[in-house]
Amino acid sequence: MRVFLEQLANGLTIGSFYGLIALGYSMVYGVLKLINFAHGDFFTLGSYLGYTMLVLGAGFVTTHLGLWGGLAVVVIVAALCLALVGVVVERVAYRPIYPAGRLPAVVSALGASIILQNLIMIIWGPRYQAYPAALIPNFPIHIGGMNLTGLQILILCVSFALMAILYFVIQKTTWGAAIRATALDRDTASLMGINFNKVIRFIFTLGPALGALTGVMVGMYYRQISFTMGWNYGLKAFTATILGGIGNLPGAMFGGLILGVLEMLGSAYVSTAWKDVFVFLILILVLIFRPNGLFGEKIAEKV
Amino acid sequence: MKRFLALAGALFLVCALAGFAADNKPPVLIGLQGPITGAWAYEGQMAKQSAEIAAALINQKGGILGGRQVQIIVEDDAGQPQTGALAATKLASQKGLAASVSSYGSSITEPASNIYEKKRIVNIAYGATAVALTERGLKYFFRTCSRDDSQAKFFADYVPKKLGAHRIAIMHDNTAFGKGLAENTRDALKPLMDAGTVQIVYYDAITPGEKDFHVPLTKMRETKPDLWYYTGYYAEAALLVTQAREIGITCPFVGGNAAINAEFVKIAGLQVAKGCYMTNEPLPADLPTPEAQEFLNAYKAKFGDIPSSPWPVYAADAVNIIAYAVDKTGSTDGKVLADYLRDKVNGVPGITGKIGFTDKGDREGVPMFLYVVDDQGNIVISR
Amino acid sequence: MPALSGSLTGSRTARLALMAGVILALVIFPFFASDYLLDVAFFFGIYVLLGLSLNIVLGEVGLYDLGHAGFYAIGAYTTAVLNTRFGIPVLILLPVSALAAGLFAYLVTSPIIHLRGDYLCIVTIGMGEIVRLALINNPLGLTGGPNGVYGIDSPTLGFLALDSSTGYYVLIWVVVALSILALYRLQRSRIGRAWNCIREDEIAAQATGIDVRAYKLLAFVLGAALAGVAGNLYAVKLMVVSPESFTFWESCLMFSIVLIGGMGSVPGVIIGAAAISLFPEIFRSFASYRLVVFGVVMILMMMFRPGGAWPRRRGGTEAQDLIRRLGRSRG
Repeated sequence: MRVFLEQLANGLTIGSFYGLIALGYSMVYGVLKLINFAHGDFFTLGSYLGYTMLVLGAGFVTTHLGLWGGLAVVVIVAALCLALVGVVVERVAYRPIYPAGRLPAVVSALGASIILQNLIMIIWGPRYQAYPAALIPNFPIHIGGMNLTGLQILILCVSFALMAILYFVIQKTTWGAAIRATALDRDTASLMGINFNKVIRFIFTLGPALGALTGVMVGMYYRQISFTMGWNYGLKAFTATILGGIGNLPGAMFGGLILGVLEMLGSAYVSTAWKDVFVFLILILVLIFRPNGLFGEKIAEKV
Repeated sequence: MKRFLALAGALFLVCALAGFAADNKPPVLIGLQGPITGAWAYEGQMAKQSAEIAAALINQKGGILGGRQVQIIVEDDAGQPQTGALAATKLASQKGLAASVSSYGSSITEPASNIYEKKRIVNIAYGATAVALTERGLKYFFRTCSRDDSQAKFFADYVPKKLGAHRIAIMHDNTAFGKGLAENTRDALKPLMDAGTVQIVYYDAITPGEKDFHVPLTKMRETKPDLWYYTGYYAEAALLVTQAREIGITCPFVGGNAAINAEFVKIAGLQVAKGCYMTNEPLPADLPTPEAQEFLNAYKAKFGDIPSSPWPVYAADAVNIIAYAVDKTGSTDGKVLADYLRDKVNGVPGITGKIGFTDKGDREGVPMFLYVVDDQGNIVISR
Repeated sequence: MPALSGSLTGSRTARLALMAGVILALVIFPFFASDYLLDVAFFFGIYVLLGLSLNIVLGEVGLYDLGHAGFYAIGAYTTAVLNTRFGIPVLILLPVSALAAGLFAYLVTSPIIHLRGDYLCIVTIGMGEIVRLALINNPLGLTGGPNGVYGIDSPTLGFLALDSSTGYYVLIWVVVALSILALYRLQRSRIGRAWNCIREDEIAAQATGIDVRAYKLLAFVLGAALAGVAGNLYAVKLMVVSPESFTFWESCLMFSIVLIGGMGSVPGVIIGAAAISLFPEIFRSFASYRLVVFGVVMILMMMFRPGGAWPRRRGGTEAQDLIRRLGRSRG
């Protein structure tokens, strides 16, 4: 039982990363129906920016603001940079393609992803980089015989807090309502006075910023980053979004958590080598019985 | 008449010039095929750099075949089998190519070597250790790196006894190299298992490219191993050991020869890295040969540091042995070179030790050592 | 002679001349091309086949399939395993691989064929990944794990060995030509019209009595079968198959071929395949920047020609053809 709880904590940590990335992904997807392949690369870029800041500004930041202050600054700057990148990418690569329909946008997103990933490789090099261990506070914690680390607990708390805040924003604020409305029915939403362009700007700043934040957290937690890491996370984000139900933003977050736990179950109790097969099989089974995802609403189709 | 004389004169001049140019000794072309882009870009780029340094050193000493320079022609195979096949075809069609140094990754080297074989061009692999590669009866394929089974045999014969271990956990990453080494190790341990001295308590694969291994590590921890052998690459190895220590796995960690290098120590941090073992051929830094010193100094002078993995050095050795064979046989013909390499090359001094090839084309006589990371973070031979 | 739809050329004679020119170029190419160029042309042909196979599912019917590499893999591995274990000649294995891939498609898509749009998309991604991961994990020792299966024979036609670069070139382009002819017939048949109808408006199609489920399944099966053919030829050329050739990325490339070329358009697919397979070879000298340029080209293509390089002209020639034929049958 103790081991199971420990594994559960592991699964939830991974799942919370997936959930946060999935949320940013799902916002774009729900509103624009755009499979934003580049989202994983926003996450990677955020991680690399965090790395650069920590390596270059290490001494400066920590002496003036202390370790935690320094990390907070890094996270905020990375998020802001990615918010800017997100808006630029949307303007340049996606906006001109909207009139053409969904599928050309997918190809454009793929192109954007290739460009970002290779630019990261060219700027930072193909080798793996590591967040400096000295700057990441960590210590083991033993609770009830379980082996956890302080960083893991911190990440879990921060991630859950973030998800709770975002849930609140999406469900209870006007901005959230605007996004959900636009995702549901774009034309009626604009008839109701919701400015579509503003919504787009919002999701393309919040989404990538979230991705950057998650990227820095991932960098801190695993300490190792590579230019290809976004691809995998992006795919998981897409899976989590579908699992939760298209257009259901909290669903994407829960989808991410569930995905993490499923991976854990497959890895621990089936076989680590077959873990992804296990997860995809479960996903397919879920969709056979609930074709609109776990939390997707049944929307009547117009005839 | 005047016009005719002028034409004849011009023609004569052209021929003379051509003759003069021909006399100016065209370079000996050696191909280098590797993953210059793609997931293994860091390996491919180091291999390219190593080959170029090796060639530069040869040329500094006056070249081969009476003053001809060695020139490296690089083709990218992006770590993909079909790009590799195209790269091999491109190199094989290159006029005047003496031989090719190809490649990194067993599943890319495989189709490429088939193409070189058809075109009768010697190809020497520097980063392809799958045993199957030299079991196909090819006449033009060689490798300067060792095979998975020799490393596996070393592990089985030496490591559990030295570290006093009976419960062994084997973890790999499902890549051609990692899985191959793991399977060979499991086979090599069979006699010990039959005798009851050793038990494999855990055998599973993690997914490379991922970062979070808490779950499989926790699973491994519960099997209570007293030795843990990981046969994959350093990126995952660093993460694995860090996370393993976090969750309370205390048994010694032994890596295969791709698992531990300076990057590993940097990423895992000294606290975690020290005391980690590795089965490996002699590291370049440990090679006493003057060739190694010369090569490493030249490489460091140009690129700032020595190669961080073993494979690029094998590429340099491949370039050197090709140049040697061309020089000694006076020929760039594939068959001549292949026969010479197989039969006559024995104990030729190289960067990684004495170079010789078996009948199958495998590298002969590369000793294995158990390395350990010491308290300063250096990787030294464990005594 | 099937008419070429397309907006690039106007009159029928111009189109015929273009086609004749292309065929002529294909025929004389081997006489002055190096082995390297012939091999590049071979892989170009493979991507044309793959693009055509995905085109059936994505272009004609409009189903989002991002796991097509899985069918490609099934075809390749069927050839590899049956040839290396049982010595069956590889050319006989060509229809066998097509059958295996088609059967696999039937079995796995039947339970999920009713899923809408993106839900179908993620399931196809999942299936592609399951195939690849299963191949790596080497169940029952069949697939050789990450090393794959090696030692596949070269094709022989009686005593005529086809294992030169020229031989492979001829083989692939003959198969491509036959596939194109078959696809044009399909496009013009009742099946093709049903597919396009489903693509435009699934509910209306159902309402007019088209068995939507059966036609969708048929599209998947045929698309998979053609991908299986491509797999067989790929395995035969490389003489080894390994899981790395069948990743999600390959499925994305196939997707891009259909989109860049023009959905449902055969000449478009050829252009798309050229872009995807020739581009990396042409731009080898760019090294690391090669892929950045590639990504830029993809975006620009979608920006300026979202319908594809050679879009399928719908409702024009086919409608007139149909009317003409109906008129004739009324006699």
